[in-house]
Amino acid sequence: MSNIIEVTGVTYLYSRGTPFERRALDDVSVGFRRGKITGLIGHTGSGKSTLVSLLNGLYKPASGTVLLDGKDIWESPKEISKIRYRVGLVMQYPEYQLFDETVRADIGFAPRNLGLSKEEIEERTLRAASFVGIGEDLLDKSPFELSGGQKRRVAIAGVIAMQPDVLVLDEPAAGLDPRGRREILGGLSKYVTEGGGSIILVSHSMEDMAHYCDDVVVMGGGRVIKTGSVAEVFSDKDALHSAGLDVPASLRIAEGLRERGINLSGELYTPEGVAEAVIKYIGGGRK
Amino acid sequence: MMKNDIIIRAEGLGYTYLDEGERRGDEIPALSGVTLSVRRGEYLAVLGHNGSGKSTLAKLLNLILTPTEGKLYIDGVDVSSGELSEDEVFSIRKKVGMVFQNPDNQLVATVVEEDVAFGPENLGLPREEIRARVDGALSLVGMTEYARHAPHKLSGGQKQRVAIAGIIAMRPEVIIFDESTAMLDPLGRRDLLDIMDRLCRDEGITVINITHYMDEAALADRVIVINDGETVLDGTPKEVFSEVDRLHAIGLEAPQGREILHLIGGRGIKVDKAALTEEECIAVLYELISRGNINE
Amino acid sequence: MISDITLGQFFPGSSVIHKLDPRMKLILSVLFIAMVFVANNTAAFILLTVFTVVLVLLSKISLATVLRGVKPIILILVFTAFLNVFLTGGEGEPLWSFYFLKIYEIGIYRAVFMALRVIILIVGTSILLTYTTSPIALTDGIEALLSPLKRIGVPVHSFAMMMSIALRFIPTLVEETDKIMNAQKSRGADFSSGGLVKRAKALIPLLVPLFVSAFKRADELAVAMECRCYRGDKNRTKLVKLTYRARDFLTLIVFVLALVGIILECNIPSGALGTGAFLEFLFYRV
Repeated sequence: MSNIIEVTGVTYLYSRGTPFERRALDDVSVGFRRGKITGLIGHTGSGKSTLVSLLNGLYKPASGTVLLDGKDIWESPKEISKIRYRVGLVMQYPEYQLFDETVRADIGFAPRNLGLSKEEIEERTLRAASFVGIGEDLLDKSPFELSGGQKRRVAIAGVIAMQPDVLVLDEPAAGLDPRGRREILGGLSKYVTEGGGSIILVSHSMEDMAHYCDDVVVMGGGRVIKTGSVAEVFSDKDALHSAGLDVPASLRIAEGLRERGINLSGELYTPEGVAEAVIKYIGGGRK
Repeated sequence: MMKNDIIIRAEGLGYTYLDEGERRGDEIPALSGVTLSVRRGEYLAVLGHNGSGKSTLAKLLNLILTPTEGKLYIDGVDVSSGELSEDEVFSIRKKVGMVFQNPDNQLVATVVEEDVAFGPENLGLPREEIRARVDGALSLVGMTEYARHAPHKLSGGQKQRVAIAGIIAMRPEVIIFDESTAMLDPLGRRDLLDIMDRLCRDEGITVINITHYMDEAALADRVIVINDGETVLDGTPKEVFSEVDRLHAIGLEAPQGREILHLIGGRGIKVDKAALTEEECIAVLYELISRGNINE
Repeated sequence: MISDITLGQFFPGSSVIHKLDPRMKLILSVLFIAMVFVANNTAAFILLTVFTVVLVLLSKISLATVLRGVKPIILILVFTAFLNVFLTGGEGEPLWSFYFLKIYEIGIYRAVFMALRVIILIVGTSILLTYTTSPIALTDGIEALLSPLKRIGVPVHSFAMMMSIALRFIPTLVEETDKIMNAQKSRGADFSSGGLVKRAKALIPLLVPLFVSAFKRADELAVAMECRCYRGDKNRTKLVKLTYRARDFLTLIVFVLALVGIILECNIPSGALGTGAFLEFLFYRV
């Protein structure tokens, strides 16, 4: 199977059976490819956060199935915590979940819950810390002494330490400055290329999708509006607009040029892509 | 320029705090030698990455912190001595309002309009005046229909609008937005930026937006870039964003159109450095390509 | 879900009860509680029940909602009723006996009165206070009623402000608890199995972040309040001024009459309204 996660006909209701009942997801079907970074984009209330909470079994769908590696994750509800180790979820502003006395102990929380041996816990903690760029000098500090960006990375390491097959991150760079964003998002591809995992990345930012993702899933009003490769999704402006989204600024500029009769070719959704295309077009520039 | 035109003036302003963590007792400079003046009615953006000292600047401007070096004048009053009476502090805070980052942590009341009334109540205004100001402020931020709602049921962007209304109702001369858009989604951010613009253009309020988003800074009249506690750039958005290399060096970026031109410029092709908006960049690129074709 | 609890919740509306002055509602609640505790015979309880039902009808809050508020304590009610029925010793012939278990007429009375008393107390005070009064109005009411204490140095304003901020942050913290719990569950935390010690230990990853965040919020809120020129109740005015209206005094008169009625009724020797009538009421009418 090429899809690591397959969601079929999933519906989810909040406050089920009360007057406040609200349909957060409506008959959603979508697949996430193995070994790829899939972006999940949509506005607040589009259902994207609900969807990620269904992927690791925090919520149970009212109808429909979530298949992980071809198996229904709710096949045996008592074993659902095992699913949570395989689909690691990093929630929004995850630094709020830090609690232990040291960074080391906090990152080791999930491995301890997994019941691993002491050596294995230590090994995984070190690996996860180095993955997110947290040096060994920080491991014995209290997580509350770190800077905002460091806390964020420790929290992410706490999920990576489970070595999940799929890493799901809900807006991991929210509120960070450009450097902080790059540090966190730029490091993610290693999880796929070196670790052989898959990633689902929730974001508001079209620019992030363009930079870091292979595939994109666009959500709006509790439904999937469009799925496909980055190029496919960005070429369907109508679908994006119906979700209230816009293409990245670079692509808008390329399109502005096309309206004036200049057809650039290449990957036009990043500044680098457009710059390259322009230079190619005029056939010049020093190397 | 008349002296009266300057609402905020800082001369060599600095703040050093004592570390309470591992290096206990060490002096850590958060801000040093900042000199700037803010004109009445100006729309100013203060740009810097996390930990650059820009939040410390905000806290100094609102008298939460007392400067450890330099001078700070607000509306001509020296507030840097640290010896202000309670009433003096009160009258400065009346002039300088502040909207913070986390919308949840600045709303006091369980009903929207009562929260907006909180500031005017503290000012001791008569009831009819409070009523009028609350209604006016809510309509300015487009939240009139939510007047009787509970804040916790609103979206982040709506909460932030309520917080702004609470400040507007105090009729300040300056409103400082301390990373107020950082926790909002794109729609909420757009609404907030729109309000900032209107406050400055229509209401004549001096707006200071402290942020790390380049596209926000590009909307202001003037941009000040702070790094390691010092001002490194100060000018119009066009001037500041033409220094792409310097921005990169301190971990910031320019808006995407500007980045495209910079990349092309880096390959030895001459491009106009002043273009900033998407339309301007398209025009510059079009010009460049047409010229290139003719040359061939 | 924690957020589904109705007891202690406010239902906005514009009924007569909603419109009463919060100070008056507090006074009325005291009178109502007095009525509930004075009542000790059938007639008084009938009067009290009718009175409560009228209050519910006037508030325009559905009876189902009101009864849902009582649901959490049903178990306790049934348990105490059983104890009352079986453990109340009486004189004369028991109504029913089985070895040492004996049921006397007075036991049944006690059980029914006790259960009614608790239900009426909860329904009545919720209707008067929590269901129909916004927390902030309630706080204002308490502050106004207690304000004479300011003269002897009681910080009534600070107390009221603390209370209203607590009310403001309850939903925020409930939401946050949910969020942190989900985050820790995603790291394999288990909050629902194991013995008492294990469960208490499992709460640490939940409580530590919750406290850290609550303190951070408190800190930021304090700064935000200072920036909005807050300095206690010095020179402070208020948007909402509490004013008594005719309806407040009318309601007060009704409550006082009801209380007097119940007091008089309960001084009349029991039996004036026969026990038979009561049982008939209970089993045939309801």
